[in-house]
Amino acid sequence: MNAAEMAKAVREAKISAVEIAEGAIGRIRLIDSDVRALLTPLFERALEKAEEIDRKIELKQDPGPLAGVPVIVKDNLCMRGQVTTCGSRMLENWRPPYDASVVRFLEEAGAVILGKANMDEFAMGSSTENSAFFPTANPWDLERVPGGSSGGSAAAVACGYVPLALGSDTGGSIRQPAAFCGVYGLKPTYGLVSRFGLVAFASSLDQVGPFARSVEDLALAMNVLSKPDPADATSSWTTRPDYAAFLGRENLKGMKVGLVSEFEDYPVQSEITEALARVESILREAGAEFVPVSLPTTIEAGLPCYYILAPAEASSNLARYDGVRYGLSAEAESLMDLYMKTRGLGFGPEVKRRILTGTYVLSSGYYDAYYLVAQKARIRISREFRSAFEGADMILMPTTPTLPFRKGEHQDDPIQMYLSDVFTLPVNLAGLPGLSLNAGYSKSGLPVGVQFVGPKWGEGTLLAAAEAVERVLGKPTCAFGGEKA
Amino acid sequence: MRKPRTPVIGLEIHVQMKTESKLFCACSTDYIGAVPNTNVCPVCLGLPGALPVVNRKAVEYAVRTALALGARIGLSTRFHRKNYFYPDLPKAYQISQYDVPLAEGGRLPVGEEEKRKWIPITRLHLEEDAGKLVHSARDGRLGNSEYSLVDYNRGGVPLMEIVTEPELSTPSEARDFVSRLRQLVRFLGVSDGDMEKGSLRVDANVSLTDPQGGLGTKVEIKNMNSLRSLERALEFEIARQEECLERGEPIRQETRHWDDGKGLTRGIRGKEEAHDYRYFPDPDLPPLVLSEAFVEEQRRLLPELPWDLKERFVLQLGLSSEDASTLTELPGIARYFEGCVREGASPNRAANWIRTEVMRFLNEKKTSIENFPLSPEKLSRLLARIDKGQLSTTLAKTVFERMVTENLDEDEALEKAGAIAGKVSGDNLREMVKKVLEKEGPTVEEIKSGRDSKGKKRSFLCGLVMRESKGQADPAEVAKVLEDILDR
Amino acid sequence: MPIGKDEILRIANLARLFVSEEEIGPLQRHLNGILEHFERLKELDLEGIDPFAFECDTAGSSRQDAVSVWPGREDVLAQAPNREGDFFRVPRILDESDEVHLDECR
Ligand SMILES: [Mg+2]
Ligand SMILES: [Zn+2]
Repeated sequence: MNAAEMAKAVREAKISAVEIAEGAIGRIRLIDSDVRALLTPLFERALEKAEEIDRKIELKQDPGPLAGVPVIVKDNLCMRGQVTTCGSRMLENWRPPYDASVVRFLEEAGAVILGKANMDEFAMGSSTENSAFFPTANPWDLERVPGGSSGGSAAAVACGYVPLALGSDTGGSIRQPAAFCGVYGLKPTYGLVSRFGLVAFASSLDQVGPFARSVEDLALAMNVLSKPDPADATSSWTTRPDYAAFLGRENLKGMKVGLVSEFEDYPVQSEITEALARVESILREAGAEFVPVSLPTTIEAGLPCYYILAPAEASSNLARYDGVRYGLSAEAESLMDLYMKTRGLGFGPEVKRRILTGTYVLSSGYYDAYYLVAQKARIRISREFRSAFEGADMILMPTTPTLPFRKGEHQDDPIQMYLSDVFTLPVNLAGLPGLSLNAGYSKSGLPVGVQFVGPKWGEGTLLAAAEAVERVLGKPTCAFGGEKA
Repeated sequence: MRKPRTPVIGLEIHVQMKTESKLFCACSTDYIGAVPNTNVCPVCLGLPGALPVVNRKAVEYAVRTALALGARIGLSTRFHRKNYFYPDLPKAYQISQYDVPLAEGGRLPVGEEEKRKWIPITRLHLEEDAGKLVHSARDGRLGNSEYSLVDYNRGGVPLMEIVTEPELSTPSEARDFVSRLRQLVRFLGVSDGDMEKGSLRVDANVSLTDPQGGLGTKVEIKNMNSLRSLERALEFEIARQEECLERGEPIRQETRHWDDGKGLTRGIRGKEEAHDYRYFPDPDLPPLVLSEAFVEEQRRLLPELPWDLKERFVLQLGLSSEDASTLTELPGIARYFEGCVREGASPNRAANWIRTEVMRFLNEKKTSIENFPLSPEKLSRLLARIDKGQLSTTLAKTVFERMVTENLDEDEALEKAGAIAGKVSGDNLREMVKKVLEKEGPTVEEIKSGRDSKGKKRSFLCGLVMRESKGQADPAEVAKVLEDILDR
Repeated sequence: MPIGKDEILRIANLARLFVSEEEIGPLQRHLNGILEHFERLKELDLEGIDPFAFECDTAGSSRQDAVSVWPGREDVLAQAPNREGDFFRVPRILDESDEVHLDECR
């Protein structure tokens, strides 16, 4: 069952929320000792929430569009009173005194949160190996990484623990793990989903979004998540469409899909190129028209631009972890000592690398040479996308240049690791929506993903196109068999 | 040729705005006397995931102040992050404005009419206040403290930072500037401008021109928390720099601390390498965009500016410059005075009474004009009696005293003061007049022999009788009685 | 010019981040790697681009000046690493005059 079917069944009292929760918990207990997607299970709390849902049903009240749907949220989303670590020693025991807006939205819609998902520390990474606690395995090959930084959320959906999970995407952290785990992952337009209560990595790039195993569920999740939020000054007031209304198109006639000329000669693993071709022909079959579009400097400029701007913002966002108000606090003789030790002990190597990079590019004498130039490049990249979308409704491109890599493969060369976000991070720089979908499996049985990118507010188009592909290739299947919860 | 060294002073002033809530969250700004860390929330504690949303009222207040200073309002400005670590700064950055401030330019007058000088303003921008540290040492000094305690109640309170051009040339000018600015923010109702309470804080840059008139090395002085300490600190610092230069020592570019007790500035030791605040635009806050209409609305809401008001009091109402200054120091007093004039009181008498009687009462009772028991109308009625000669000033004061302390209405007060006009009259008055005339034989003679053409001597006698009657006689009747006694 | 060891230490101090001797080398290599990548940007034509021109449909958003009392205060103090009564406690502050700016200007 997918989320939509579950909610329907629960609302019609065909199945109880508690039964569903128990089923999910059972599957997690069965599988997660190997995959390790969850950082913090919240089973007792979940069962209580499920009982509340069932009570509402008895009282003929409507628990909401996600009635009894079990979900897992990334551990950088604040939940009142529940440990929220961001995968860092720094926040190992921190219990937020407030809820992230999206957590509130989920629970108001009747969702049952089963636990907090593992992630790269402070969402910095592409393999979930940067979690301070333990790495998560790729459900399709335990020797490989699930991608990151939302690796736990992606794996949880791929393993069939839950039909829906939340992640956050700053440079590809939803789409890349979605591709690696063979599920859908949607990174919404910047400003569409509230960031209030999402522990910041790079504020101008961060967006919260859903993982799912059906397009219908993505739309359902977007209807719940995408609300204007007065607590987030970057949250748009534009009225949101009903995302479900984009589904059920019998064909894609009139839709123009762009193929980026410059990407043709970028080295991408053959199985990904084949998947792109597969998806292209499906979309053609459905009536979509293909047009060449140009993003002349995006691929060249994107990576360096991102790895200046994201660390710059991060260096400032992570300065608050000083051992004074919350989180880790080292024994210290003096204030300076407290700062140096707390931050030296609390942050892992990748976080330190980014904090130092960011501090450097903002420090006096370098701001103009690096931060400002990167900011200009960012504007240029968003302009390239804008003109590309004058001729196309969406763009079809790879999510990643490679299939899931082995654990430890890039540990000693961070910049190699960065390259796995080369196709996703420009989308964040331009603040656009990106959807990664599964387009089959490699000979070795690894999932192969491709990416749809839309103009601002273009989520609907991406969902419609994804549905067309789903009709032909079917819904993504769960790892470890079974079309479970 | 060798010119005398002249001081060059610039000021940087932080003004706390009296909004209800903080600049970026809904916590109360009312931290004085509050239990530590009670006016706090995820935003002003810098909890992970919390986000700022700007307080519209704070923007209105800052824009109004900028307009009153005649500054140019930036219709699209940005908030920046000023990054540095300190325990009172929960996010480890202060949200401020950097390359594009809310307003630029403008000016504020110092000195009196003829010697009036306009001091140019460089910029005015919005930023958030930091929390407060309590140092463990008995003397409260950081240096001697084992540890410190942090209270975030003040963190996030809205501030306007106002920076002047270095065009002030004396400590008293600097003092005057600050008191003018304080007066302004009080008239605008955007701040209580209280230096002692810290709602108005002044830093000063001082240097001395070299003998050729070129600029000297700038020294920043901090920690002056009254107009007086500002003036003293500047005087001390100027003298100190002069002595240094006389001795041929160079001036160190540094920040010095004013020690009010010892009456000297002390250099803050330690690394003097320039700060590296790593300013960059705050990605959590969209550009601060203001419409022309919004700015015009704020302009419409501006009251008459204190120095214009003062000028009007002098030119139209004929007050002395000092009276006008005192009456325009506080908006409430100015409004009260205008009320009295509207009620028909003579401007000078009203001014005089407000400066003396009213203000004395306010000081004794440590209260403000807003809760002064006597309405302008009532006071005017009392003053009118003096003008009409129904009451002597002395008696009017006792009546006033009773009205404000015992909250009596005028008639009761007059009654109690035994001051119903004309009480001494008829035969009693006739007796009193006779007694006076007996003592004044010579004058009486002169009058009788017609040497009082201007009637000066008569009115002199009138006065004596009024005094004798302690003002309880009706001057008109006194004159009448005098006449028929003298003419007999 | 590649970043040297003392530059790493300068930044680390600015970021209040203790880095051990062993960490310095790798950090140096990493930072230089990033900046090397960055050199490509220099070849781009970025003439006349306003670095902050990105369109933003939330510009000017603001809130009413209304007070609300937040109930979570005790939850925060209870988790303070070093609470003392109603306060957060910090160890001795040695001379850090380059940082006391805001504190001093009150
Ligand atoms: Mg300031
Ligand atoms: Zn607050």
